[in-house]
Amino acid sequence: MDINTKQLRKNAFRVTKNRGMTALRIRVPGGNLEVKYFDVIKKVAENFGNGRVHITTRQGFEVPGIPMEKIPEVNRMIAPILDGIETAVGVEIPDLNSGYPAAGTRNVSACIGNSVCPFANLNSGEVALKIEKLIYPNDYHVKIAVTGCPNDCIKAHMQDIGIIGMALPVYDSYRCIGCGACVKNCRRVATGALSISNYKVKRDHRRCIGCGECILKCPTSAWTREDKYYRLVIMGRTGKKNPRIAQTFLEWVAEEAVMKVIANMYQYIDNHIDRSLPKEHVGYIVDRTGYPVFRQEVLLGVDLGQLGRVAESINFGGYFYERTNIFG
Amino acid sequence: MSNPYSSFKASILSVKPQTDIDYTFRLATDLKVSSGQFVEVSIPRVGEAPISVSDFGEGWIEMTIRRAGKLTDVIHEMIQGKHLYIRGPYGNGFPMDKFKGKNLIIAAGGTGLAPVKSIISSFNQGITGIKDLTLLAGFKTPADVLFRDEISKWHENIQIEITVDNDDTGNWPGGTGLITGLIEQMDIANLEQTEVIIVGPPVMIKFSYLEFIKKGIRKENVWVSFERKMCCGIGKCGHCKIDGTYVCLEGPVFNYAKAEQLVD
Amino acid sequence: MGFEFTMDSFNKVLEDISKNFIFYAPRRIPGKGAFSDTDVVVYQEVEGFGQIELDEKSRFSPKEVINPITQTLFYFNENGYTEPETNNKGIIIFCRPCDANSFKRLDEIFLNNGPFKDSYYESLRRKVKIFVIECVQGFENCFCVSMGTNRFDDYDAFIRVAEDRITCDVKDNLLPAFVKHGISAEMRPDFISENAVKVAIPDQVNKTIFTHEMWREYSERCIACGRCTVVCPTCTCFTMQDIFYEDNHKCGERRRVWASCMIDGFTEVAGGHDFRPDKGMRMRFKAMHKIYDFRKRFGYNMCVGCGRCDDVCPEYISFSNCINKVSALSREVNG
Repeated sequence: MDINTKQLRKNAFRVTKNRGMTALRIRVPGGNLEVKYFDVIKKVAENFGNGRVHITTRQGFEVPGIPMEKIPEVNRMIAPILDGIETAVGVEIPDLNSGYPAAGTRNVSACIGNSVCPFANLNSGEVALKIEKLIYPNDYHVKIAVTGCPNDCIKAHMQDIGIIGMALPVYDSYRCIGCGACVKNCRRVATGALSISNYKVKRDHRRCIGCGECILKCPTSAWTREDKYYRLVIMGRTGKKNPRIAQTFLEWVAEEAVMKVIANMYQYIDNHIDRSLPKEHVGYIVDRTGYPVFRQEVLLGVDLGQLGRVAESINFGGYFYERTNIFG
Repeated sequence: MSNPYSSFKASILSVKPQTDIDYTFRLATDLKVSSGQFVEVSIPRVGEAPISVSDFGEGWIEMTIRRAGKLTDVIHEMIQGKHLYIRGPYGNGFPMDKFKGKNLIIAAGGTGLAPVKSIISSFNQGITGIKDLTLLAGFKTPADVLFRDEISKWHENIQIEITVDNDDTGNWPGGTGLITGLIEQMDIANLEQTEVIIVGPPVMIKFSYLEFIKKGIRKENVWVSFERKMCCGIGKCGHCKIDGTYVCLEGPVFNYAKAEQLVD
Repeated sequence: MGFEFTMDSFNKVLEDISKNFIFYAPRRIPGKGAFSDTDVVVYQEVEGFGQIELDEKSRFSPKEVINPITQTLFYFNENGYTEPETNNKGIIIFCRPCDANSFKRLDEIFLNNGPFKDSYYESLRRKVKIFVIECVQGFENCFCVSMGTNRFDDYDAFIRVAEDRITCDVKDNLLPAFVKHGISAEMRPDFISENAVKVAIPDQVNKTIFTHEMWREYSERCIACGRCTVVCPTCTCFTMQDIFYEDNHKCGERRRVWASCMIDGFTEVAGGHDFRPDKGMRMRFKAMHKIYDFRKRFGYNMCVGCGRCDDVCPEYISFSNCINKVSALSREVNG
């Protein structure tokens, strides 16, 4: 058997422990899927795989047990998925019958968002689809996720780029009856950014994380939301060297700024990636170039708006397996 | 259209500390007040609160005010010659007509003595028509006793029993224990001709009432005064309402037959 | 008298009378709902009929037009106080029959309860004219028919919207503007005669119901947020607040702000004693006011059956269901 594993991987298949057997990875950007595609996935699993799927942490499906020689047939079978999910959002797929054109940049995952969740400040799935259009297909190894609020149910803090929805609470003191629900709740579940003075509420913008809890708790709509804002956390990861949660890079920026930063980041990767390696995670590139270089390059042409703020420095922290000795 | 929330300035004629936290303020005013009524007292920019009138006379009223919050903290800083704003008087006071020719027993717990002080004062002046007055008063400690100076004078005409829950001084000349103990020891001669006023914290009212009932007093002869949160004093703000009863309009003095029907 | 209008000609009527009146009506405010990407419908000033939201019940009631959420009573300076100036323009409120009926209930508390009239309320109230918008189907949770508030005859104008035509019955001295822009037409107001939700009101509420264990359910379920009371068109309670200006402590104001019997602190006196800490007892207190003790005082029920309390409760507590439970229980208790 003569298989180009590099091409196989790029085609969203995997080299598995069973010689000659592969597994297909199906992208579900935003984690939101019309159920009609289950029929396609089912058919692939039953006709070519072992009749099972694995649901991935990134909200995709992995169909295992496929003989490598069946790849062309599988690719033809999944054409409706590529068409319905990828081309539908504007992703350019060179040939719908040849399967996924790239697998480096992983599925863009998202929390359930404001179509269901009352806490979400975003339609996270829609934002994920916009990002999918922006970054796919791409070979660089990047993980992106979108979450509707700082609860971060999608674990944006474990991504290279984590996008967190923020609401800017605006306060109409006339409508406030001083019940204190927002103040108590902010102290209890968030950052204690609110206080009462002269029976009305004051918000400390520097402490506010835009979670929108005050808006949800307000009985009189004295708190309402104005525009959508985003926090961007970067370079969170697992891995065998230095697992760490992502750190805040930007906050209170608009969607356009987020998209521009992501686009710029691919250029940054292109500028700095170590091409002698089989692949290099963007996080390790930032480790090499340092945060200031990353910051400068990804902010090129980015409008931070009136409220936008950029982290002056970042200490990513995390821990290093080889330096950690807790066992004596 | 007159504004029922307008207050008028009343100058402070004197300030007399009763305890560390209870001061009596005498204000110059021509308000016509009856015993048990209250006024809304305010300091602009600080707040307004209902305060019972503890005594009154020609051209003055007195209020004995406990330091218990933002407004009363500031009032306690006021000195003679300064002003407070007042409006009122509001509410129904004690049915003084009903007490004429009767024996009146007053059971007062702590600051509950304030709203009935004027009854005792006027009895002493012989202007109430009340036949005989007995005062039972309970305080937490000797330091909490209100109207000491007056009490020493009242002794001449009135039977007074004062008890403290806890004698932390060791030289308290009166009794110790709860006010219910004093009621228990009472020998009420003429039940039909006796009226009872109970004023104080809710729990004290409840248990004192039960003691009086044991003595054979009828609930129709028991009168209580309710303290509730109030923001207007005139039946609008809703805070003092208990079921369908507005304490500011129909109270604060209630006959017990009515009071026992009120479920907060 | 009856008139018919197109949208345009009706707006001309409004334009004519806008010299003397401000219009308040339910208005959809995009993006201002509590949840993201949702709207809220509130009573606000409108200029034309097209701005009025007709398809959704307003979250908040029109009471805030004449009973402002925050209302300054006095401005203070070093020398004394002044009252805020009022403007002379009349107020026209576009509302449904239930809400139109709510004003009478507000009147009872602010003008007829106790010996004093509330002058602040009165000065706004006397300027109000009511334009009733016909209800054809009502909305979810409405039970106006049970409360007898489906009808309102004391309107200044009654408005029916069908397709793109507006027909009106007008009773008032605003007639010239209607005559000028409308065509004479037959118009007889119709009122809803049935709601999906029906509520039985107990005649007598026995005292045992006040302390009945049925309220315990609400002690557990209610979170004391007060939404049911702030959206209620008939809740009137308020709290006084004195403040000083932060940049000039010698000046300040006394204002009143809506209060809620469901929210902590409503019955708490200085020193900390709270007379009604239990949420079930608060529910009982509110419910009895709406369907019992107000009636004992003024002869009819306070609740107008708009169902907003049920619309907004985050814990899905239904007031109408609660009243039905009280009724069933009183039948049981009274035999």
